[in-house]
Amino acid sequence: MFLQLLDENGTRHASPEFDPLVADLTPQHLLGLYRDMVVVRRIDAEATALQRQGELALWPPLLGQEAAQIGSGRALRDDDFVFSSYREHAVAYTRGVALVDLLRVWRGVTASGWDPHEVGMATPQVIIGAQTLHATGYAMGIKNDGADSVAVTYFGDGAMSEGDVSEAMVFAASFQAPVVFFCQNNQWAISEPVTLQSRVDLADRATGFGIPSLRVDGNDVLAVTAATRAALARARAGEGPTFIEAVTYRMGPHTTADDPTRYRDSAELTEWQGRDPISRLAEYLRAAGVLDHDVDTRIAGEADAVAAELRAGCLALADPDALTIFDNVYAEPHHVLERQRAEYAHYLEGFAE
Amino acid sequence: MSLREFRLPDLGEGLTESDIVAWRISEGDAVELNQIIAEVETAKALVELPSPYTGVVAALHARAGETVSVGDPLVTFAVTPEDAPAVVTEPEDALEPNLVGYGARPEHSGRPVRRARRAPPDVPTHRDQPAPIMAPGERRERPRSTPPVRHLARQLGVDLEQLVGTGGEGLITRLDVEAAAERTRDSLADDAFTDDGPVTRIPIRGVRKHTAAAMVASAFTAPHVTVFHTIDVTRAFELATWVTESGGTKVSFLAIASRAVCLALSGHPELNSRWQQSTQEIVQYGYVNLGIAAATERGLVVPNIKDAGSLDLVGLAAALAELTAEARAGKAAPDRLTGGTFTITNIGVFGVEAGTPILNPGEAGILALGAAQRRPWEFEDGIALRQVMTLSLSFDHRVVDGEQGSRFLAELGNLLQVADEAVLR
Amino acid sequence: MSDLAPGTTTLGKALNRALFRALDDDPKVMVLGEDVGVLGGVYRITDGLQARFGANRVVDTPLAESAIIGTAIGLAFRGYRPVCEIQFDGFVYPAFDQIVSQLARMHARTNGAVTLPITIRIPVGGGIGSAEHHSDSPETLFVHTPGIRVVTAATPQDAHTLLRQAIACDDPVIFFEPKRRYHVKGEVDEEAAGLPMGAARIARPGDQVTLVTFGSLVPTALDAATAAADERISIEVIDLRSLSPIDFATIEASVRRTGHLVVAHEAPQTAGLGAEIAATITERCFTYLEAAPVRVTGHDIVYPPARLERHHVPDLDRILFGVDRVLGRVPARAELA
Repeated sequence: MFLQLLDENGTRHASPEFDPLVADLTPQHLLGLYRDMVVVRRIDAEATALQRQGELALWPPLLGQEAAQIGSGRALRDDDFVFSSYREHAVAYTRGVALVDLLRVWRGVTASGWDPHEVGMATPQVIIGAQTLHATGYAMGIKNDGADSVAVTYFGDGAMSEGDVSEAMVFAASFQAPVVFFCQNNQWAISEPVTLQSRVDLADRATGFGIPSLRVDGNDVLAVTAATRAALARARAGEGPTFIEAVTYRMGPHTTADDPTRYRDSAELTEWQGRDPISRLAEYLRAAGVLDHDVDTRIAGEADAVAAELRAGCLALADPDALTIFDNVYAEPHHVLERQRAEYAHYLEGFAE
Repeated sequence: MSLREFRLPDLGEGLTESDIVAWRISEGDAVELNQIIAEVETAKALVELPSPYTGVVAALHARAGETVSVGDPLVTFAVTPEDAPAVVTEPEDALEPNLVGYGARPEHSGRPVRRARRAPPDVPTHRDQPAPIMAPGERRERPRSTPPVRHLARQLGVDLEQLVGTGGEGLITRLDVEAAAERTRDSLADDAFTDDGPVTRIPIRGVRKHTAAAMVASAFTAPHVTVFHTIDVTRAFELATWVTESGGTKVSFLAIASRAVCLALSGHPELNSRWQQSTQEIVQYGYVNLGIAAATERGLVVPNIKDAGSLDLVGLAAALAELTAEARAGKAAPDRLTGGTFTITNIGVFGVEAGTPILNPGEAGILALGAAQRRPWEFEDGIALRQVMTLSLSFDHRVVDGEQGSRFLAELGNLLQVADEAVLR
Repeated sequence: MSDLAPGTTTLGKALNRALFRALDDDPKVMVLGEDVGVLGGVYRITDGLQARFGANRVVDTPLAESAIIGTAIGLAFRGYRPVCEIQFDGFVYPAFDQIVSQLARMHARTNGAVTLPITIRIPVGGGIGSAEHHSDSPETLFVHTPGIRVVTAATPQDAHTLLRQAIACDDPVIFFEPKRRYHVKGEVDEEAAGLPMGAARIARPGDQVTLVTFGSLVPTALDAATAAADERISIEVIDLRSLSPIDFATIEASVRRTGHLVVAHEAPQTAGLGAEIAATITERCFTYLEAAPVRVTGHDIVYPPARLERHHVPDLDRILFGVDRVLGRVPARAELA
């Protein structure tokens, strides 16, 4: 299957099964999704520029994956909990993370940009696939509590090869945990194409574990919204886990330290530019008379303002005090560490200037 | 308008440099924030650099094709205050301003130096002089002992290098250290003295401390014998004057004496050696590092002229002049003060005739030159007023026999009495 | 890039050449890892190898560290000589079980019948201003595991020679590459026999303090020795090269002359390699030691964010402070409250 409600030209396709799930989305709602995608793309571009200017250590761009993240992120409830990889900046945005908090970790001034419990989203995971187990465990806790919130885990096509992800699906299926496995298949894991990770559609691997699976056009924000809502509804109704494969494309490099020209064809990039998530929605909204020049200008202005705020916030991020490295290693006092802290403080005081 | 410098950041996880492939701007151009200003190539990728400021390009600091290190200036921008966001400068950034890019920062530029510490080290290094850098073959193992005994030795002022341990395989024991301290104590018996009147207390430190330790080590280890020889040095003084006037270098009697010593030593290697207890060897030097005792403001120092035996008279005189000047100025380099093989001490400058000098540790002979006095002396079968000097030679009787010492001194005396220019040049 | 004198190359390129020579010399050698083939590795260490030797011998693997090692074990059973790459130190833990439970034990548990001549290359250490999990120093975990050898290089020459030796060795070898130093340049003679794989190297002779370190901290230690010379302190720098086994004979001979030992490493202090060296040298050189050995190490903390890592990774000043301590020039640690 391949769920698509809005194709690359902005033409709406009917789906009897999934149309009801997005029937409530008025043109204004859609304009809101459009605005979200424009803004997060701009955040992504600004962060990339900041890295090139030496203000961030690293940035993993989400360029091209806006629909997959905004569509799914906006479908969540406040009391749902997200366990993501390091690329889900747009999901964090939908969870209400402040702009500068998106950058703190990448600037290298802190281990976590926000408090997971305040945001309902774990600190992004760098170890590929590890977060899927955490999400499954969290979902097991929800079930024990008798609540109807959902744990959602985001990961990529490369993660599907890690043992942790298979183990997570084993547990999720066995315990019928209320977890949504949201896989963004952006076709590439650094230089490795998805065909190296799997000989079958990624969605089909989940069914092998007994987890119902949806394969959607990840660049179609409507389809993503519909699929996510369907999965969430199942989980809330006690029907267990769902796997969503959002087929999309990593338009940029793996991170700002990567050079994709070494391993992929520019023709492929051009092809996927034709499937851009934002432009297809723009087409649709223009045809619907909702997106005119004035609205476009307004939204562009909002994006500029966000970028400026992001930049100013980034540049103002100061280095923390040296002795903070000893904080939070343990929740309870630890005498070895306390002594090391005292020694290091003593050492630092000994410098002449 | 203010100037802001943009330096090359690390563009990928630990890179240290990039090549400028092409500039997209020129000096004088107006640029917008994030406008692409250059293409650079790293070890990993071709990267476009977006401008960090809106402003005017004041200067480009590299040419296309050049390699730039992370942290090097790339572009200077002239920006208006509104366009120049506050850059948070940290105390650490004072070392490398504006470098916010990450990666393998160069740890230092130029010679590595350590950051100044507030308080100098509490305890001075346990050498007052730096350790001599020894050649690989020469590097000795340290004397063996245990930490508590080493601590005791430090407290008692005992130098383990001077002891032979009586423990297993030469281990220096607590008893060894206490016995050594005992010997020192007995000979000094400080506690036996009371002061009956006002006294001046001078702390024992620095050069005096080191010299005293050396003296003690030498005097109480090597059996000293001193032999004396009084000679007519008139010819030697005349030679010194003659050579000085005929050449450019000032040649003193000391230079003549030094030359004579070197010549005499070549025939008497036992006077140019040391007793090495630890390996049960007498080490005869194949070269002469001639020490000249010098009284300075800080105390007695004995800098030496390296390989004095290979220098001719004029060369020796020049080396002496340099050495004396250095010693007076307190500027003798560390290796000047170590490695001597034979010493001359000129006590004559103080007006005394003879002495019983103490050997410099590591040497087997030391020659004291007395004052030259005009005295009636036998000269060409008659009596004339001649310049007469007493030579005092102390030697280590473990290494040098009475006969050897006496013969050496006699030969030395003869060289000086005859003062043959052909021989001494 | 820049003009280099002939025979001079970077540490990264020296490794690349070592892999080239190994693949060229022995048809059973294979290279496996994530992004090693088409991309040539995230640090370009395997650049050009797949083009030259083919995708059967230089293999881009799916994203699964445990499987990289586990399948390498199977390949070795079949007679191949795999050289695995784990992309970053912080990513080795999924493979830890295959390394410790399987790779390290196989020779012993088959009574010597099965040999697994596998080399695992791992970029290691910090100082690159990177995100979490990219700057760890897990060497002690592997040194503590009997059955595997652990080596590391600090110079391009050693990188080249040691990697070829590791690949040729019939025991499993973990080869830690100091990623901070991939760009350091030096002379490499590919034909030089070099020291034996287990030997330490005197990087700089000295006679007052023995400073033992390895990998990324060797250049820092050499800088410290240069700066110390200005204070008339003579430091002998020993580059361990082999972490399992450790060349204690070289360290002992040095400490018997200097009487002072400082060990430096990035990894946290507790149960780090410094502890092993301090204990062993204290046992063997007790009667030569002037002072207790001093360790200059990372703190017992999770590796800090990039902007704070300089407070964790030992630098020149911290090493020289350790030298001051061992020489008795500052109060002993016990005096701190």
